[in-house]
Amino acid sequence: MKMNTDPNWLKKKASMEDGGFVSVGGLVSEIGMPGREFPVNADPLRHAFVRLLQLKRREKSLSLEELANKADIDLAELMRIARDEHHTPNILTVCRIAEFFRLPQRPLLALAGLLEPTDDSFQHESLRFAARSEPVEKLSREEHKALEEYVKFLCDK
Amino acid sequence: MADQAKRTMTLNLTDAEMRVLEQLSAQKDLSKTAVIRQAIRLYQLVDARITRGEKLFFEDEDKKAKSELMVL
Amino acid sequence: MRIAVGLIDVSTGEPVQAELFDDVTIEDFLQTQRDWRPLVLEAAQRLTRAGDRPSIIPQHFHWDWTRKEGDLRMLANRFYGIRREDKLQGLAKLMTVGHVCRLPEQAGKPLVYVDYLEVAPWNIKPLMTALGRPHRFAGVGTRLVEIAVRLSVDEGFRGRLGLHSLPTSEPFYINTCAMTPVGPDATKQNLTWCEFTPAQADGFLGR
Repeated sequence: MKMNTDPNWLKKKASMEDGGFVSVGGLVSEIGMPGREFPVNADPLRHAFVRLLQLKRREKSLSLEELANKADIDLAELMRIARDEHHTPNILTVCRIAEFFRLPQRPLLALAGLLEPTDDSFQHESLRFAARSEPVEKLSREEHKALEEYVKFLCDK
Repeated sequence: MADQAKRTMTLNLTDAEMRVLEQLSAQKDLSKTAVIRQAIRLYQLVDARITRGEKLFFEDEDKKAKSELMVL
Repeated sequence: MRIAVGLIDVSTGEPVQAELFDDVTIEDFLQTQRDWRPLVLEAAQRLTRAGDRPSIIPQHFHWDWTRKEGDLRMLANRFYGIRREDKLQGLAKLMTVGHVCRLPEQAGKPLVYVDYLEVAPWNIKPLMTALGRPHRFAGVGTRLVEIAVRLSVDEGFRGRLGLHSLPTSEPFYINTCAMTPVGPDATKQNLTWCEFTPAQADGFLGR
């Protein structure tokens, strides 16, 4: 296929384009309706995403490595998601997580901060979930021992 | 798509099929080859979605009716 | 396919060489999320704070990411990208099946449908102005429309092209490219359907 090589044609077209919007679909269309607060506070949603992933793994008794293997996800990326709530996961990973756990993809992408949430209740419900799902079970003996020793270390400083 | 080199094949069609091909070619302002290529692409697209579990419907807006296309 | 195409370097006003390619992979789309998205979000935030938000953009007009890998394998879909300085400058998804002309003089005839077309945010003046920087390259959108028209010619569709323009992109498609705005499409959130006839396509290509 031969493209136009005339520099005058290109200059004329570029000048008419004048750096304006040319998108059909794409990221610009994700910005959403005027008057909405944008973007929503991504951190609480990301926290809910991480908690959801944690609980779904525990539900199936899967380690991160097992999940990575079964869902065909890069282990390093999964570990970053699990350990760093400020890390923006990549879309492919989130889609594979959704597929593996049979979760709806669009809401999960919104939770991961990759799409704008579809309505205002989304953030509210996600925060409620994250808050309710914080573990409150008693410490195991090993956890209790480790905690005691660490607090003692801090107090001795 | 890297593999755009073209290959030639002979196509055996019945008279009726050839008539339909010629009719579509005239209606769509396309060569007969272009019509066949469109048909292949459409078949692949539809087949991929049906394989995923989706269904293909025709919708009659006037009658507010939907009917399922025969699965290919 | 990889061919050299010219873009305009805005800082000098002179043509520079870029690469147009068609072996687009999922990595290219992930790159848009990694490199383009943060800038778009930041610019949108600043525009919103300044009370100068881009005009109404339909919220749900969005390409389904979950289908992307499958989409890349379909014969009906053709993908093109433009690269310069090792960075993706623009990306497009074109369809050769599934859409037909709506202009009365060519109604029902096949066309190439632009399903997705985007240029990197650093090439969009209003976004870069919001970020306090000049935009980098001009002509990326033009080149992507050019490849779409040439594909249409190659396919035997004589340059016929169709797309649903976002409101902010209408000046480009209607004025710069001189497509005919057929009207709002109620099935696509009232986005304006724009179409090329063979004569208009020839005019665009400079023939």
